[in-house]
Amino acid sequence: MNFIVAIQTGMREIGSHKIRSALSMLGIILGVSSLISTMALTRGMEEGTRTFMQQLGGLELVRVVDKEPSAELFEFAVLSPGRTLRDAEAIQANAPLISHVSPELILKTTVSLENGGDPERRSVTGVIPGYFVIGMHAIDAGRFLTDLDVVRGSRCVVLGSTVAAELWPAVPATGLIGRRVLIHGSPFEVVGVLDRYEREEDKRARAEGRKVSSRRWDPFRSKNQAVLIPFATMFHEFLSGMFPEDSMHSIKLDAMPVRIGDLTRFPAALEQVRAVLQNTHRGVDDFDLETREDWFDRVESSVRAARLSGGLISAISLVVGAIGIMNIMLASISERVREIGIRLAIGARPSDIFLQILVESVLVSLIGGLLGIGASFGLVEVLKSISPTENVPIISAGGVFFSVAFALGTGLLSGIYPALKASRLDPITALRYE
Amino acid sequence: MSLISLQGVTKVYRVGEQEIRALDGIDLRIEEGEFVSIIGPSGSGKSTLMHLLGCLDTPTTGRMEICGRELSGAGSSELARMRNREIGFVFQSFNLLSRLDVLANIELPLIYSGLPTNERKERARKVAGEVGLGDRLANRPSQLSGGQCQRVAIARALVNGPRLVFGDEPTGNLDSATGLRILDIFEELNAAGKTVILVTHDPAIAARTRRIIEICDGRITKETLR
Ligand SMILES: Nc1ncnc2c1ncn2[C@@H]1O[C@H](COP(=O)(O)OP(=O)(O)O)[C@@H](O)[C@H]1O
Ligand SMILES: [Mg+2]
Repeated sequence: MNFIVAIQTGMREIGSHKIRSALSMLGIILGVSSLISTMALTRGMEEGTRTFMQQLGGLELVRVVDKEPSAELFEFAVLSPGRTLRDAEAIQANAPLISHVSPELILKTTVSLENGGDPERRSVTGVIPGYFVIGMHAIDAGRFLTDLDVVRGSRCVVLGSTVAAELWPAVPATGLIGRRVLIHGSPFEVVGVLDRYEREEDKRARAEGRKVSSRRWDPFRSKNQAVLIPFATMFHEFLSGMFPEDSMHSIKLDAMPVRIGDLTRFPAALEQVRAVLQNTHRGVDDFDLETREDWFDRVESSVRAARLSGGLISAISLVVGAIGIMNIMLASISERVREIGIRLAIGARPSDIFLQILVESVLVSLIGGLLGIGASFGLVEVLKSISPTENVPIISAGGVFFSVAFALGTGLLSGIYPALKASRLDPITALRYE
Repeated sequence: MSLISLQGVTKVYRVGEQEIRALDGIDLRIEEGEFVSIIGPSGSGKSTLMHLLGCLDTPTTGRMEICGRELSGAGSSELARMRNREIGFVFQSFNLLSRLDVLANIELPLIYSGLPTNERKERARKVAGEVGLGDRLANRPSQLSGGQCQRVAIARALVNGPRLVFGDEPTGNLDSATGLRILDIFEELNAAGKTVILVTHDPAIAARTRRIIEICDGRITKETLR
């Protein structure tokens, strides 16, 4: 008996017991569909967090933060100037693995229109051009601040989309370039407006005309609320008066994120930053590097947990499915002992009988697997519509392939014993069987 | 050389402590083209002998040669090959597969000899025509009469062109008129050169064959040539 005939025979056998076959497929259908859905879900979670983190600066972003110096260095702590513009310049000059540094000075102050309007207190940040890259910004209209703005200390400002919309509700971004705002009472010229940043899901909601829920935490809120002026302008205009003893290079920074150029050299890059800061801080360990690896680890472990529990459910269903198929196959052979006897009498070899039963079992699980794939597409469609995050489940070709292979393996495993049993029947006994 | 040659063949079944000598020293030669009947009372060992001759089983002791092959210690695959190529069986209870139609039933042995589909169909159709079933190919066995079922079984036995055809009480489930028609077919087969061996307990049927082998308690007690 060749393979094709075995398949034809198996299909006929399955077709003549439709309900029984469908029942024996149930476990496989459940197993495969939950396997694919789990893989799609975790894949979606990973994909979602990856893009999300990329939008927030990715792994490349490392924050230099203040820290209590260790106790034994406490007396020396005063020697350290802390985080200053000098740090930023030193990193830029001496840490080649760091592509950008963004020294930031933040001032809470009023921002308003020239001709009246309620002045509102906002966070105004003094930045250098590196801020644009580090914050993963994009320009909607106009331009970002340039080195020249910083050097000159010019009175220009770049606004986040929310600020722009609140100041001039009906005006498109392009119409804002050249207008003036008062920051802390001083007039600034708007030179650029940043893109509107939002989650994929909100973007979709807006495109479909649905209301965007404002209750949920918006990771892009502060980016959209940005009011950015040149670093030097910030210092000379607003801070030098408040802290007369400070120079632009000695005033303490509010934030100093750096960006690593090549992620494959992550540890080396951190080492370079540390070495530079050791030097500028005169050996005082009053700084720390905050990476996002911890965050990634947390996300990754939750994805792993989801995958594990989903995998466990699928594995259990597949085992149940395998037992179901084996059970049905055993029942079906004891029902067909006489048929097997007849086949043996007219010249079937034991190996032919083995092949026939095995192929039948594999066919049952394979059809179950295909139905399971169909079911999983439906299931994922449902999950898509109810999962409100950007972690939309993604069915991958690999996942489908893996599941088919799994179904195939299940069929093979559950078919071997019944097939062996059938092929060992004695022709005479089998023929006599009633 | 004889088509079948048995020397000192025994078949012993063990049931618990008890030994049943179903065949007890059989010496037998059957030449190509013979028409033989094996007759004897119930439990005498007829079926056991036919199972050996039909390569469904091997002897406990003794030598057995069929179609020039020593089969005393043959393996199951070799026996299957013999059954498939050299031997056709016709059983009392037809033993057709109820889920297959007539054509598919007749075709079945060819599946195990590995013939391509169209050749299988063609040969099955031809043999079906020869036993007078050319117009019932799409029927299921349940839609046929007993005589028609036995014709299907005969066609299935013949489809691979075997040298040996066995009938184990082939008319046992049929009314006498139909039984006679089936016997006619066996006679025609023998006339066409096949070696035909019928197992029966009915002397009237045995009387239609040329050589009658009587068997009792596992031994050949009498041989008659007509
Ligand atoms: N598989 C078996 N196990 C035990 N005893 C058997 C078996 N097959 C046949 N026998 C015994 O062998 C003897 C011959 O049986 P059998 O060849 O079927 O006789 P017949 O066909 O002439 O009626 C009987 O006594 C029967 O009980
Ligand atoms: Mg008998």
